[in-house]
Amino acid sequence: MSDVLADTVAKPRRTLRQPHARTYAAAAGTLLLLALPFYVDRFWLLAGLFAMAAAIGAIGINLLTGATGQLSMGHAFFLAVGAYSYCVFAAEGGDGLTGLGLPTWLAAVLATLVAGVAGGLFSPIAGRLRGPYLGIATIALIFIGQHVLFNARELTGGFNGRDVPPLSLFGLTFDDSELLVANVPFGSAEKLWYAGLVLLLGCALFARGVLRGRPGRAMNAIRDHRIAAGVIGVPVARYRAAVFVLSSMYAGLAGVLLALVFQRTVPDYFGITLSLEYLAMIVIGGLGSVSGAVIGAAFVSLLPQLLTRYSDALPLVSAPGTGGIAPGEASRYLYGAAVVAVVLFLPGGLVRVAARRRVARNPGEER
Amino acid sequence: MSTFAELLLNGISMGSVYALIALGFVVIFRATEVVNFAHASLLLAGGYVTASLHDDIGFWPALLAGIAGAALVGAAVEFLVMRRARGSDHSVLAIVTIGVDILLTTELTRRLGTDVLALGDPWGDAVLTLGPISLAHTRIAAFVAAALLITAFLLAFRYTTWGVAMRAAAESPETAALMGVRLGRVSLGAWAVAGGLAAVAAVFLTVFPTPGLERATSLAALKAFPAAILGGLDSTTGALVGGLVVGVTESLATGYQSDLTFMGRGLGDLAPYLVMVAILLVRPAGLFGTKELARV
Amino acid sequence: MTTIDGPASTIDAHAVPALHVDHLTVRFAGLLALDDVTFTVDPGTVHALIGPNGAGKSTCFNVLSGVYRATSGSVRFGEHELTGMPPHRIAGLGVARIFQNLALPPHATVEDSLLLGRHRLTRTGFVAAGLRLPSAAREERRHRARVREIAEFVGLEGLLGRPAGSLPYGQQKLAELARALCMEPRLLLLDEPVAGMTADERRRVAAVIAGVRDSLGISIVLVEHDMGVVMRLADTVTVLDFGRLIADGAPSDVQNDPEVVRAYLGEEATP
Repeated sequence: MSDVLADTVAKPRRTLRQPHARTYAAAAGTLLLLALPFYVDRFWLLAGLFAMAAAIGAIGINLLTGATGQLSMGHAFFLAVGAYSYCVFAAEGGDGLTGLGLPTWLAAVLATLVAGVAGGLFSPIAGRLRGPYLGIATIALIFIGQHVLFNARELTGGFNGRDVPPLSLFGLTFDDSELLVANVPFGSAEKLWYAGLVLLLGCALFARGVLRGRPGRAMNAIRDHRIAAGVIGVPVARYRAAVFVLSSMYAGLAGVLLALVFQRTVPDYFGITLSLEYLAMIVIGGLGSVSGAVIGAAFVSLLPQLLTRYSDALPLVSAPGTGGIAPGEASRYLYGAAVVAVVLFLPGGLVRVAARRRVARNPGEER
Repeated sequence: MSTFAELLLNGISMGSVYALIALGFVVIFRATEVVNFAHASLLLAGGYVTASLHDDIGFWPALLAGIAGAALVGAAVEFLVMRRARGSDHSVLAIVTIGVDILLTTELTRRLGTDVLALGDPWGDAVLTLGPISLAHTRIAAFVAAALLITAFLLAFRYTTWGVAMRAAAESPETAALMGVRLGRVSLGAWAVAGGLAAVAAVFLTVFPTPGLERATSLAALKAFPAAILGGLDSTTGALVGGLVVGVTESLATGYQSDLTFMGRGLGDLAPYLVMVAILLVRPAGLFGTKELARV
Repeated sequence: MTTIDGPASTIDAHAVPALHVDHLTVRFAGLLALDDVTFTVDPGTVHALIGPNGAGKSTCFNVLSGVYRATSGSVRFGEHELTGMPPHRIAGLGVARIFQNLALPPHATVEDSLLLGRHRLTRTGFVAAGLRLPSAAREERRHRARVREIAEFVGLEGLLGRPAGSLPYGQQKLAELARALCMEPRLLLLDEPVAGMTADERRRVAAVIAGVRDSLGISIVLVEHDMGVVMRLADTVTVLDFGRLIADGAPSDVQNDPEVVRAYLGEEATP
């Protein structure tokens, strides 16, 4: 017990203990991730990037729904806000579309903040509605979003969407202009890969810090015993509103990354199905946990890519357009079934299955 | 203005259909405290059965088959999934219904593809004209059917053993169980009834003047959610009032859209949600929902 | 009965004011849960609130902690009017409460559950926690140390690392009590603190409560059915029946009050 206490008191102490298998695995995993762009083709890098963006978004919705117990169907709205705000801030105006031509790194930051502000505007409602009322009220956000995306043509390009200006940082533009690194040509996907990893890591560490600290304890209390939380001194409405803003910022950032990966934003993408996908991700991975969110996101976002790529080898699944089950549909069947299966048979998600043997030590974050 | 009266009447008719859907949704919530996000796909399932069979067996038998089909699907979901997930956190239960919704919707949209199916209803595109107002027969039938079903349902809810059992289970499941109420049967009944009501509503969402049953029908069904919420999720009266509010709002907004072009197109779809948000700002539990009575 | 030395108090005993409940009435949709109840809890005393089931004791606690709204009347703690205040602000004034049905997070460790009680005394926000700033770590270290002290006082120090949900019922209740103490309260509302406990556990909790009163000087309001515990610990006893106050005074006086006897045992049947 004493090393449990020591562990929770000060992180640096951990280095005094024998590093476990887990640390070696993490190191190996990190090296693998860093080396991937040198070996793997563009299809997989794009799939991976897509998974990273989804993971950032999933971490956000997990803070709101998994850790604080606030069901929200509005996540896709904030993803859209992030993606489109980035376009508006970063694009050079012209051609009927507004653009402010700001430096792209600034546009990305501002887009995330705008998503946060949007969350803030809705937060007085979010703070006061309980459970199912909030869930359905957030559907309104999706419809408002769709309405604006299709109608505000100067900002959003209407149903055609907009091109996304590539990110450029420290003079390096993350587009397809070739860059040779160790004799491997680096296109947009390769360059974005590292940016994505850094962003994901930062987002995950921040979320973990929040969940393991004082805010995480308060958030979990709101989820588990809302009234008792207030009586213990947690200002419930204020926390709910704050978590709503935080999760919308995560969604905004995920939206920016998605926009950069796809290089084009279209309104159809940001509908209610996308919100449902994020909820599926966090349930499958494990509610309330950052690693759960990442695992769930990887599962749900990589599935359609895998199925598309290997549709020839798989029975039932056929290439899109020909008869049979399209990869998109097949993957929806799979993750829909996964949601049901996880809830019925593997409560706590995939993360809990992996961690069955470990004693729960850091309760701000469920394991 | 004749336009106004016409819009109003159309709104009330569609509103009664939304009320029908919302009622099923509220019944499930009251009986099991589950927010059923799969409701729209139950509706689509019922409609699909009716649409597929009407050519072979005629409209009315097909409708009955659709009702039975949707009721079966609802009951199956309760029996196979919801019952086993009982005891989980409420968000988790809601998300499980999302999983079911994803499964059902994927299957149904795959079968539908880009088709638009007719339901073979007997009213066709006949229109009743009373002076300056013209009202489609389908709209009149919708209102009558919804009114009859809702009345029958509310009477059953109040006076039959099943209805009493359901209300008891909604108030306090433990007490009800101790008094001999079979909670499993109550939930099963609730889901089956909700499915049946949705199947009837499916007909009226897909007849003239809409082109027919298609993928987008489930989006139309989604409007029952704000109806149920703004009325108060645990109130059957609320479902009715909510349905009417949504129907009338949608009708008026669509009707006057041309005067409000600055707001963009598609306002009719958005307006009910805006009204819902406005009502929730003032009454966070909906118009007739029970405000939290804390029990610690 | 032994008392236990309390943890070094961080509360100035002179800062604990009296709690005045004045003509408190609570009505729910036709049901009168509390009817014109008036009593005073003197600073630093143990005040028991007893009565048959349904008498309104939990309702009274819910009003005191801000969970229910009073229909009329007032509750004053020192110079603050508690009716109409949201629960977290009442907690901010130093009012702590344990719940009849436990409210411990099922998966969190005991230590982290107790740390939740320090919420109003700590300030780490989202940014500081997310960025793992040194100020956040320092604050957490300090407060964990205090939590450990309180856990020792209550007798839970060996269980801090266990998930709260895995403890036996009696120890969970003790953990709730410890959490309430972690709030450094001036007024402690204990809702059936010994319900469901074995005789040993009851003695332990009673000793803790007495220790809290003696060493910390805080006021304690106790809802309890176990008359032994009530009579031993309480300085004053208030009796409620059907929402009305029927007796208020020293334990021995209340015990023999015919109204009280009648409320608990019913009318004697006239032959």
